[in-house]
Amino acid sequence: MQMVKKSLIVLFVLWFTILFFMPKRALYYKLEAVLLQNDIKINEKNIEEGLFSLTLHDSKVYVKGIQLATVEKIDFFTLFFYTNVEVEKLILDESLKNVAPTQIDEVEVTHAIWNPLNLSLDAQGSFGGIEGQVSLVDRHMRVDFNETKNIEMLKANLKQDEKGWFYETSF
Amino acid sequence: MKHLFKPNIFKNILILLVLAFIVKLVWFVISWLWLPSRGVDHVGKKAGKALYYRVKLTPNEVSAPTKTTKSTKKAGSIDDIILLAIYNAADVTVITVQHKGKTKVLSRGDEINGFVLEGAARNFATFTKAKKSYKVMLLQSKGKNTNGVQANSQNAPASASNKPQKVAGDVVDAGDHKLIDRSLVDHYAKNMDDIYKNIGIGEIKDGNNLKGFQITFVRKDSPFAKLGVQRGDIIKSINGQEINSYNAAFGVYKNIGSLDNLTLVIERGKEEMELEYEIN
Repeated sequence: MQMVKKSLIVLFVLWFTILFFMPKRALYYKLEAVLLQNDIKINEKNIEEGLFSLTLHDSKVYVKGIQLATVEKIDFFTLFFYTNVEVEKLILDESLKNVAPTQIDEVEVTHAIWNPLNLSLDAQGSFGGIEGQVSLVDRHMRVDFNETKNIEMLKANLKQDEKGWFYETSF
Repeated sequence: MKHLFKPNIFKNILILLVLAFIVKLVWFVISWLWLPSRGVDHVGKKAGKALYYRVKLTPNEVSAPTKTTKSTKKAGSIDDIILLAIYNAADVTVITVQHKGKTKVLSRGDEINGFVLEGAARNFATFTKAKKSYKVMLLQSKGKNTNGVQANSQNAPASASNKPQKVAGDVVDAGDHKLIDRSLVDHYAKNMDDIYKNIGIGEIKDGNNLKGFQITFVRKDSPFAKLGVQRGDIIKSINGQEINSYNAAFGVYKNIGSLDNLTLVIERGKEEMELEYEIN
């Protein structure tokens, strides 16, 4: 029993120190370098490191040198067994209003150890609300519009079934 | 001697501290070897030149027809010209008109009733007189009378006749430059997909660096073909702004709705060409 207790303490300390000492800022810079390979750049006003999180404030997103979006807050949070990326107030460039909704209030992408092969997706914006699942094994994504407002510009890419409008793609 | 701490607890704490130190060391090594110490920042290219507007100084050149709407109504003699037929090719424009009961064939630069033919599109021809532009619509044979009254209703200065006629938009050759209907520009500004159905634009790269853009195809009979651009043309600049990045190209695309003039510099073969357009 004593041995089990000791092992659990060691595991907890190991888990905590890995998260505590994790170079979150440097890992984010690595993510930026990976995104750069796809011509995507994120310019953030400031980066805030937390115990388990990293938050970017007032970011501008550039694709091929074009500023396509501004994001008020991007929050990365991880406990290893539960990881969550939250995006708040994403405003797309006005020139994209004919192809995509320009205001997205909140996007949340979550990965949890109890559902390890899928990512869940949740978003609210000028288009309404969506919920989706990304299968990492099948490399397939399905997003359901559970509340639709202004999705005229998206309809060309959407399908409809008895539940309503949905978007489906493989990658 | 009595111990202040149980040596066992002290030993365990020490083990945990060593463990934390090892974790820190591992992260340090990972950061040092594989992780960047600086982020990637976007440094925007400053526009080389502000967009400019073409100013015509020579008195006999065609001026933009936009501001001539009201005053040209009085130049009623344009109403005497009835446009019967149009032949429009890349290098030649020939139209058939009826004037005072007589039929006459005109090519670009010919004069009739004081009006000089400047160019023609699918369903109208443009004339100039006293620095003003006039658009004469092609006479519709079906359901329309061929008498002067009917023809008169179609003859009007260019900008005045645009909206009632509901012209989807066209590009008209006006001699040294081309006239582009605003509605056409507005349509493509709102429907980016339609652009790529009519014209293909590819990247020119030097290694990983983007150097510019090249036209890979132009759909025949599309408005883009009438702009005078061809497959293989390299886009050098638009209104003095070098087009060597997506940002520069997108900047022009975003502002296109507010522009009245466009000067496009292209490289065709070894030759550099300047194409001028008026949007009205």
